[in-house]
Amino acid sequence: MHGAKRRKIQIGGVYALLGVVVLAALILLQKFPPLTLWLAFATAFAFLEWRSVEVNDRMLMSPTVMVALTAAVAFGPDTAALGVATMAALGAFSADDFRHRRWFQPIANFGQMVVTAGVSVYILEWFLKQAPKPETGNTFWVWIAAGSAVAATVYALINYTFVTVAVRTVFEKRDLRPWSNLGQLLPSYLLMGFVGGLLGATYTVLPVVLPLVFVVFIVGYLSFASYGHLREAHEATLRGFIKALEAKDLYTRGHTERVAFFAQLVGEEMGFNGTRLERLRWAALIHDVGKLAVPRDLIRKKGKLTEVEYEELQVHAHVVEEILAEVEFLRPMVEIASSHHSHYDGGGYGGVGHNHGEQPSPEACILAVADAFDAMTSTRSYRMALSQDYAFSELRRNSGSQFDPEVVEALVRALARTTERYGSPHLASEEEARRLAEGSQVISHG
Amino acid sequence: MGDPRVPVKSPLVPVVWALGSAALAYLLMGETEMPVLEVGVWAILLAEASLVSLPASSGNRLSLAFAVSGALPFVLVSVDGTVDLAAAGAASAMGLLGTWMFRTLRSDPAEEVMAAVLRHGFGVAAYLVVFTGTVSLADSLSIPAGNVDWVRLTAFAVAASLWFLIETSLWASMVYGRNRLSRRYLWLLAAKDWAVVLSLLTTGALFGFAWGELGFWAIVIAGIPYGFAHLSFFRSQESRRTYGQTIRALSRIPEVAGLSPKGHSDRTSGMAMEVGQDLGMTPDEVTDLQYSALMHDIGRITLNEPSILKMGFTDEDIARWGAEIVAEAPYLSHVATLVRQQHQPYRRPGEERDLELPMASKIIKATSAYDHATMELGFSPLEALEVLHRGAAYDFDPDVVQAVRRVLERRGVVPA
Repeated sequence: MHGAKRRKIQIGGVYALLGVVVLAALILLQKFPPLTLWLAFATAFAFLEWRSVEVNDRMLMSPTVMVALTAAVAFGPDTAALGVATMAALGAFSADDFRHRRWFQPIANFGQMVVTAGVSVYILEWFLKQAPKPETGNTFWVWIAAGSAVAATVYALINYTFVTVAVRTVFEKRDLRPWSNLGQLLPSYLLMGFVGGLLGATYTVLPVVLPLVFVVFIVGYLSFASYGHLREAHEATLRGFIKALEAKDLYTRGHTERVAFFAQLVGEEMGFNGTRLERLRWAALIHDVGKLAVPRDLIRKKGKLTEVEYEELQVHAHVVEEILAEVEFLRPMVEIASSHHSHYDGGGYGGVGHNHGEQPSPEACILAVADAFDAMTSTRSYRMALSQDYAFSELRRNSGSQFDPEVVEALVRALARTTERYGSPHLASEEEARRLAEGSQVISHG
Repeated sequence: MGDPRVPVKSPLVPVVWALGSAALAYLLMGETEMPVLEVGVWAILLAEASLVSLPASSGNRLSLAFAVSGALPFVLVSVDGTVDLAAAGAASAMGLLGTWMFRTLRSDPAEEVMAAVLRHGFGVAAYLVVFTGTVSLADSLSIPAGNVDWVRLTAFAVAASLWFLIETSLWASMVYGRNRLSRRYLWLLAAKDWAVVLSLLTTGALFGFAWGELGFWAIVIAGIPYGFAHLSFFRSQESRRTYGQTIRALSRIPEVAGLSPKGHSDRTSGMAMEVGQDLGMTPDEVTDLQYSALMHDIGRITLNEPSILKMGFTDEDIARWGAEIVAEAPYLSHVATLVRQQHQPYRRPGEERDLELPMASKIIKATSAYDHATMELGFSPLEALEVLHRGAAYDFDPDVVQAVRRVLERRGVVPA
């Protein structure tokens, strides 16, 4: 923990210093734009920055880059970089960070955003100076479009570099979800920057459109917000019903959350990102929802289930999975979740659409390993938690048959890196764990 | 939400209307200084744009025609710079005639096309007149010439707000004509479309301002707000649908587990929504009602536990367990309260009626009882309604029972 704090101070210090240097240089080089215009754009920028929503990888767009470049073109050369950099400096201090008493994010963001905005707008200014008069028509617009596209690319690159460096050093995470892929990030930045530049140029030609430009910002914001909110709502609904399942059965409490965590670790280790990783995590969250319709005494039964009981359990689980599959966005996840009992070599029980002898998808293999690992390292009604090393050796013993060897090794590697240990520290035999569990049962009954 | 439809009394109506607007266009064309060709181009654009529509959250389909009509007073101006009202009127009349033809050729339902064209006609007429009026009012106040663009922007804001009011009110009363839902509900529902209308009209105004100065680039600029609107509304519609699907799927779990009758929550929620709409609840309240009615029996998933079956349980317990489950999703905390109170009587013996009890909970109680009576006890709709009437002393709120009767009359299962 101490190391993380030291690294935070280092990164925060370096970023803030860079930000101050850039800001000072711009103050010396440039004049400040007209105050009312600056205030209007700064308000819009801060609003969008503070209320930024987490958007899925498929739709990565930042409306702030649009506002920044609109403002840059509207301010004009020799004032733009200073104007936008000060806007960005203000936007870094979000009320949310203060409420949560976070000091690192605002400071690092301040440096990062000032440098990003200052440098990219300074480049845009070169284009603005080269551009001919608006009366020339097409030539003017092509210069503006090219300039804003270049500026947006620079904006995305600098922003990406700063954020990646910070997260890698401070949080020691190699994969960073919304930012995992520059390739997916760049087109949206380009588009938004392009749009922003054009809006700014329209303002310089026709100042009267300024209110309409702000309407565009509002509509743009709504377009992001609606998506983000509903996505959160999806996850909240899912979580609610997972909790319902856990309320029915105390022993699964926390199980789904932990399986989702292990699945995500393994997924990251195996190089999943974006939508695929998110899908895996959601599949892990719903992997036991089938139990909702299963009689409780079956779920909590001690020891092995009889053949008939096992059949009954699968039928119930099946019906629930079919219902969930009617929800379009859940379908791929239900497919993963329902095949998490099938074996790597094609045996075992398959879910919806599973054929015997078929190798399950990598996602299903990950889920199977995560599920088995948590089952072994957590306390069940019929036995105590086993140790992590025992779980590893069990997984390895069955890898190639029940489990995918690659997934098992990825789990071992990922857990070695977290330095966290799961399960009991010493229990290393199934029999002992069962005997202990029965012992405690006797005591609690007696 | 269903599509808005108004009943058309006679097939002659559209023909008469088409002849009328063609005649109007002809008359107006005589007044204008514009070349006929230019007016004709705008009319065709208007008709084409009406084929591109955005699904708004109310179920009203708002088309790109809003943007084209919004741009008309900017682009059709006389030599002296004032709005050429005759040209704009003629372009609108011909454009709407074209809309009617194109959409009929596309075999859209006739009454829906008529309703859309009439609404647009009234709206655009008011918009053009108010726009021109505001501009000439400003002229008479002798505002400096440099501010002419700002005058136009103000005129646009005033006229566009009026148009939005006209569109939503007309839509609400037209849908009312078919469904007899509460006017308040419909109007509030239509008013929720403000973001779509705003982005469409902004598209029009941006285009209007930019057209004279920027030429081709005006199309690119004006496309920006439309693009955002397009993206966001299609996406959010899709997300809303999945949200509803999720809740519906989960509400079916107790049914497949054999713990509650098949289809009960679906039927109850359908009827509860109609009753809520009849009683003039707001659209958000109706959505909450829909979700809580779907989940009102979710507490029954607890019923496969032998211990609970042995102890026995009441409807009160089911409501409480259900609410506990629903409350786990933070977004549905509102719904949880409604589910919890679904079995409370609206009045207890010797007391005044309970004013704290949400209307939605009372509606769920009544509609669920109705479904139980008709589907499980085998009562006829009239007999089931009788059950509700007899329970109106304590269990069922008489207002809700009246609304249930109206819904049943409208469905045609109970004589009016």
